Amino acid sequence: MLGLKIMGAASIITGFGCWGLNAARRMDRRVEQLQELRLALGFLEKEISCVYSPLSQALAKTADFSRPPVSYLFATSSGLLQEKTGITAAEAWNAGIEGLRLHSDLQEMEMGLMATASLQLGISDASQQKKLLTLLQEELALLEQKAMQQAEGARKMWTYSGFILGAMIVLLLI
Amino acid sequence: MDGQALKQAVTPYFAGVLHEGLSRLKAEAYQDMEEIRLRAAQPLLLKIGESEWGLTSRGELTKKLPEAINATREDLYRTIASISDNSLYAFEEEIRRGFITIPGGHRVGLAGQVIVQAAGIKGIKEFSSICFRLAREKKDCARAILPHIMSTGTIVNTLIISPPRCGKTTILRDIARSISTGSPACPPHNIAIIDERSEIAGTHRGLAQLDVGLRSDVLDACPKAWGMMMAIRSLSPQVLIADEIGRKEDVEALRECVNSGVAVICSIHARNSEELSKRPLIKQLLSQGAFRLGVVLSRRNGPGTVEEIIRWD
Repeated sequence: MLGLKIMGAASIITGFGCWGLNAARRMDRRVEQLQELRLALGFLEKEISCVYSPLSQALAKTADFSRPPVSYLFATSSGLLQEKTGITAAEAWNAGIEGLRLHSDLQEMEMGLMATASLQLGISDASQQKKLLTLLQEELALLEQKAMQQAEGARKMWTYSGFILGAMIVLLLI
Repeated sequence: MDGQALKQAVTPYFAGVLHEGLSRLKAEAYQDMEEIRLRAAQPLLLKIGESEWGLTSRGELTKKLPEAINATREDLYRTIASISDNSLYAFEEEIRRGFITIPGGHRVGLAGQVIVQAAGIKGIKEFSSICFRLAREKKDCARAILPHIMSTGTIVNTLIISPPRCGKTTILRDIARSISTGSPACPPHNIAIIDERSEIAGTHRGLAQLDVGLRSDVLDACPKAWGMMMAIRSLSPQVLIADEIGRKEDVEALRECVNSGVAVICSIHARNSEELSKRPLIKQLLSQGAFRLGVVLSRRNGPGTVEEIIRWD
């Protein structure tokens, strides 16, 4: 009986501990994804303003350059544009953002920022496109810094609080 | 190009109800179609031969414009997005010139708010009109003119004279194709085409979309005066072809070409030889013997009708 109780208590503490560790890991992943997204936008900016690649090709190349889940944004929007079904860049970009939302740890604020690009992407001259993508990168850099600070502070809290919460529940049950 | 091919080439660029209407329109209607015009909040208009028609969403032509499909700003936006592959930045130079050439050599003219900078026109934004001018090749349409151009055994400097929409560019293209490829009556020649408005060869992304012959070099989107000098220096053409000459710099460059022994075949806007002789620069050029042959075109029996052959020997 005691053995069973010990096993149950250990399972509860481990379960809550893993939940806390996962939450801490998600904060780190968010920072990594913001950084990846910023680098990918830098790549897209060069493809548009220096190479003058058509948008569908520029997005496809950016998808190859970036890693999942950030690459979902570029791969989805490029795929839709390459189908040539009369879809606009804004519609394709927004569909890509929905894909990113499903697969990434990014928050609503970051998704909202990316969605603002849809209104201008592809439909102005190269200098305006460069300005748009540079501005997005700068804003993402600020969000990245903020996310990094949040992660620094909260990482230890989430790491330990899972185990502590598990232990408290075990104590309450006893 | 037959009606069905034209329909397939053009309809994918339109969205929504415009696409529906144009897709349902019979292929025969495209056979003689010259223009498709979209203007924001105005009916879609089709120029077929000498007539102008509206189009219903059922794909029927109508003269009652209130029944015709209206183009919205959204339609214009989607059409431009489609023409430019959602990449207006990749067409900056074309937009600055006011048109984009699409595959097939069709020319899409744009109107809207023009952005002007100190150095000139920077671009167009807030597009309000789009005009598709359908390019068509009429092979052998210059057959009646070629014997006059080759009358002395060598190519004679020729001026094609016509008002707009009388087929002078189509004739010039066929002359280029025939002379460049060669025939029993005319040996093949190296040709340089100065295609300032991308109409003769219909170049899209560096490739001529219309047949201009085996031995033709195309200087696309190049100002005529510069192009003529560039071609003489670097391409050693036997014949030089240019569309719609008339500016002072064109005339000066033409004089250089004639003096360097290159045969020139050009077109010019004028109704007839009298109208032509009222233009001092051209009058001077003619008096100096720059051109030996003039061909006056009209639409009397359809585009490309030869009205008069003039000899300035």
